[in-house]
Parts: sequence; structure tokens; C-alpha cells
Amino acid sequence: MSIVRINVGPVHPSTHGVIRLVVDVDGDTVVNIEPHIGMLHRGVEKLAETRMYMQIPPYTEKLDYMAPMSYDEAYVATVEAAMNITVSERAQYVRVILLELQRIASHLLSVGFFCNDLGQMFTGFMWAFKDRDIILDLLQEAAGSRMFYVNMRLGGLREDLPADFEDHVLQTMNYMEKRIPEYVNYLEKNPVFIERTKGVGVLTREDAKQLGVTGPVLRASGVNYDVRRNNPYYVYSKLQFTPKVLQEGDNFARYKVRMLEIQESIRLIRSAIKLLPEGDAKGLPIKLRSPNPVNRISIVNRELPRGECMMYLVADPQKPYRLSIRSPNFINLAAINHLAKGGRFADLFSTLGSLDLVMGCVDR
Amino acid sequence: MNVTAANSFFNIPYWMGSGNIVSNLVGIVLYLVVVSITFSIFGYTVGWLERKIIARVQNRHGPTYVGMWGLLQNLADLVKLLAKEDVIPANADRMLFSASLPLLLALSIFIILLIPYSPTLQATNLGFGLLIIFTIMSFFPLLIFTAAFSSGNKFAEISAQRSVLVLLGYEIPILLVIAAIAAMSGGYNLSSIVGMQAGLHYLAFLMPIGFIIFYISMLAEFERPPFDLREADSELIAGWLTDVSAPSYALALFLDYARMFLGSVIMAILFFGGWNGPAFIPPFFMLVIKALLISFSIIIVRATTFRMRMDRALRLGWVFLIPLSLINIVITYLLFVK
Repeated sequence: MSIVRINVGPVHPSTHGVIRLVVDVDGDTVVNIEPHIGMLHRGVEKLAETRMYMQIPPYTEKLDYMAPMSYDEAYVATVEAAMNITVSERAQYVRVILLELQRIASHLLSVGFFCNDLGQMFTGFMWAFKDRDIILDLLQEAAGSRMFYVNMRLGGLREDLPADFEDHVLQTMNYMEKRIPEYVNYLEKNPVFIERTKGVGVLTREDAKQLGVTGPVLRASGVNYDVRRNNPYYVYSKLQFTPKVLQEGDNFARYKVRMLEIQESIRLIRSAIKLLPEGDAKGLPIKLRSPNPVNRISIVNRELPRGECMMYLVADPQKPYRLSIRSPNFINLAAINHLAKGGRFADLFSTLGSLDLVMGCVDR
Repeated sequence: MNVTAANSFFNIPYWMGSGNIVSNLVGIVLYLVVVSITFSIFGYTVGWLERKIIARVQNRHGPTYVGMWGLLQNLADLVKLLAKEDVIPANADRMLFSASLPLLLALSIFIILLIPYSPTLQATNLGFGLLIIFTIMSFFPLLIFTAAFSSGNKFAEISAQRSVLVLLGYEIPILLVIAAIAAMSGGYNLSSIVGMQAGLHYLAFLMPIGFIIFYISMLAEFERPPFDLREADSELIAGWLTDVSAPSYALALFLDYARMFLGSVIMAILFFGGWNGPAFIPPFFMLVIKALLISFSIIIVRATTFRMRMDRALRLGWVFLIPLSLINIVITYLLFVK
């Protein structure tokens, strides 16, 4: 059989946004994949050079529209590093709680999308979506809006937490703790799910290091690396965080790492609420003129739900001279040819789903 | 061939074979009206039920806006589809592309006419009815192959290959199960198969292995999940229907429910005793109720399973279903025929 070249996307039911893949197929076997990106390019890095410091968070947030709070925090932390602003202890705890909530929401959505990519149209997806909505309600309570929060301020947050927020979080965590085994039951006792994920799209430990993938994709391949443990920020070292690592490196391991991380996040949130000190979490209010940066160059790395993000800021007095972002998704996407080559055509889409890409973050 | 010989050969029911020409005509018209109305209402109801049940499973509401409980939503969709332009792609084979879908629908309606619906409501009572039904049914994958290949779309081309592979994997188990049923009833006549199951001697209980094989193979034959490999929305966009535009797509949806009706009625007749049931329910309604329950089970399967991969689906067919159906024949012979 001759090789057929198929154009998948940018409009296709399961490409997670606007990515175009040029796939060479020999019968049912994938021979080569060439990703074409740039269809969601918005020039965020260039835009940042023309804005004042605290005008930028709304742009950085929309890079990863599935986990906006994480990017919000990563950018503000970079500016704080440039200005040598310290974050109050209560604000550190609150930030950790909000970030972990965001991580749970993002991972749930990822598992839901993964079900869709495996051809189980919308059942698992809708269940995950409903549970994610409960988390979004909490974030709305804390930040005022459902998707794009712009909640971080220099040295703290926009507002302190509302009065009964902690109780609501604990209730939701109890609910989540009951829900997670239901997902695990539903998925891992399904023979077709196991058949289609185990041993598919294997990324070995060495290849994972060579390709530079990060986040759950890296930890599923047996590399024990997590920014929260290797370069702890805020109070992660006090909360005794341990990364979840699996050895197999296949689609199932990538899904499973996300499930385990949801459970770890629940534990982190619980202990953070137990240790939450009194005080004020409020940061500096937004004014057009901010304090002048002290450091010319500052680099901050953060563990986002999808991998390690690094922000590189060259500071001018009132606005960035250059903001450069290392996007975890961009580098994870580069692994797709390595993962899906030689596999079945049907597995290409589940492998793409297991990388959990957000094209806004890839294209910036 | 004289009338008596023809009657005994085809076993024509009394209102068609004998009597005057007027009563014959009335019978024929009555039959067509009853069957076509049942078929349309059944298809429409199952289409609505499918949306509602799957919505319930997924924590949604499903259609609510058009009509009571969204009952008219499918009709509104149909009107919308029919009002659109029918585009035939430039590199499609016009003739084959526009002929295959109507032909598929015509064949499934032909099979619907061959099925007996009650002791009296049947067009013909062929001695080899079961065999004819499955002979015609094995043309379906071939016609799907033609439709897909003639559209000139690459996704449809992959779908066409899968269609033929499904034919190879799942046609043989079905025929082997039918052979076991025929061995039990002593022929391929559908009415006598139903007669054999009187009084809860349903074949689903007497021949459980055969029933499971038949159910799985019918899911594959009618591309219901987890075997919707030909349509595979998350991989092949819409598979063989990718380049089919709106009015023809409405036809394809109609075909989908025609096949659902066909599959569940055949399963009800072969394994659940057809129109047998309590005396106070008319036989015809008994059959429809059983078919609805089977359709319900097919919908529930759709809501919960993941799609099989092509090679795995084929392995299931060749490595498990064919040997199992051979074992089924042996068991049936030892228990019931010998």
C-alpha cells in the first residue's frame, strides 16, 4: 500500500484547538507527523514590551485558557522578583491553595478530553466538566470571575479570601475525594480503555530527558522532577510535597499521573488550610505607576499543570524591555512525532490527548 | 407453478394467497401502512430516546426547547438538513457517490419487509427468510465501501478500508450462530423459529453464548459503538460520511435508525421469542416492546464504552468470536439436536 498524506486540522473534532498535523499514513500505521503551529499566535511577548507592568497579566493569563490562574501567578512572581517585593506569609498560603485548585480543575479537564479522544464521546468529558465547574465556583468566590481572574497583585492578592471560603474548600475537597475513585473505577476497569492506553505512545526515560518534556509527561516516564520539589517556591517545602512518578511512560501512565496529582493536590490544599496563618493577603493595588524594578534580569520557573514554565524578564523602569516565556506545551508538542510514529492512526489522537496541549500556550 | 404449489413453497398467509383480489389488495395496503408507520415512529422515538438517555447519562438535559420534552427537535433538525444545498465534491465519482446511500436505505427497507411481525402481519413467509436477510445484509459494508471510496476524501478512504475489514471479521460469526439456530428449529423460516420459542423457551436463555456473539457482531455490523470504526468521529471526522452534505446526511441518519430497527427486531425474533408473550398484549406490540428494550440496551452501550481500535476489533472477531461460535454449534447439537 502506498503512503497517503492526510491533513488533520486545523478544524478537526479532536485536535485540542487549532493545530494542523500533516500525517503520512501507510495503511493504518503512522509513518510521519509534521505539526504546523502558529494559528493562535497573538504576540504576547511583543505586546508585553508596550505595556506597563501590571497591564500585562490579562495577556499572560490567556496563554493557557485551561489554567489561567497559574500563568497569572507566574508572571506576577517574575515582576515581584524584579522589584524585590516579598509576599506576606498568608498570601503565600492563599496562592498555593488557589494554584492547587486550578491544577485540579485543569487535570480533570485533561482526563475528560482524553476520554473523548479515545472515542467515548462526551460521557467522561461531561462528568469531568461538571466536577471542574465546582472548582471554578470556588475560584470565582475567591477571585470574582470564572475563567480569567487577574487576581494576583504585587506582594499578595487583589482581595483577601472571603469569610467562609475555607469551609467551602474543605467541603469540596471531601466531595472530590469521593469522586476520584469513581473516575478510577469507571476508566481502569474498562478493558477497552486499558487495551488502548497501556503500552501505547511509550516515551522512555532517556528520550523524555532528551526531548526536554516537563510536567506529568516527564513524571510518567520515570523522571523524578517537579519544580515544586526541586526548586520549591512559596510554602511547598513546608507542606511536604512529594512528586508522583510512574515508570511506564505510556498513555496510561500519563493519565494516571494526572489522577494521582489530583489526589496530591487535595492533600496539599487540606494541609495548607490547616496551617493558614492570620493576617492580610492583600497586595499593592493597581496603579499605572508601579515601583521601579531593582534587578535588570529576573528568571522565575513554576510548575504549571502542563509542565514547567519559565519567565525571563529584562526590566526597564516602568515596563518590560523583553519578556520571554518558556511554554511547557510547545516543548511537549515536539515529542508527538517521536511518540506516535509507527503506531496506529487511531492512537495518534489519544497520544495527542495524553500530552494535554493548549494551543494558546504553544503559539503564545 | 399452480397456486397451491406456490402457496406451499412461499407459505403465503391467508389474506394474500386466497380470497378475491379486493381483499388481497386491502391486505397488501394495510400491511404496508402498518409497517411503514411502525418503522417511522420507532425510528423517530429511538432517535429522540438516544439523545435523551445519553444526555441523562452525561448529566445534561438533552433537547428541551422544540416541542414537549424536546420531542420535535429531531424533526426540526431534519427540516434544517433538508433545506440545505446538496454538494457533491469535485473529485467524487458522481454516479456512485449519489447512488450508494439511497441504495443502502432501499436494501434495509427491503429487509424490513421480509420480516414477519406477527402470525398474521407478514408480507411473505419464506422458508429460507433468515438466510435471505443476512445475504442482503452482507451487501451493506460493500455499499459503504463504494460510498466512501467514490467520495474521493482521504478520511473516507481509511473508513472504506475499515468497512471491508469489519465485513471480514464479523460476518462469519453471525452466519455460524444462524446455522446453530437453524439446526435447532430445523430450517431458516422465521415464523417457525418464533414458534419454537413459545413459553419462555427463549433462545437467549437456551443459547447464551450464541446470543452474546450475535449481539456483539450486530453492533459491529451496524457500526454502533464500541465498533463505530467507520464513523469514528474523534479520528476520521465522520468517516465515510465526511463529504456527504446535508440532505444526504439526513438520509444517512434515517439509515442509522432503520438499521437500529432492523437489528433490534431481528434480535427480538431470533433470541427473545418474537411476538410470544402474555395473551393480553397483541403479538405485534409485544415484538415492538421487545425491540425497544433491545434498542435501549444498544444506546446504553454507546453511552459507556470506548471505541475499539481496528486491529483489536479484528482480533476479537477472529480469535474469540469465530471459535466461540463453532463451540456454540457443537453445544447446540449435543444438547438440542441429537
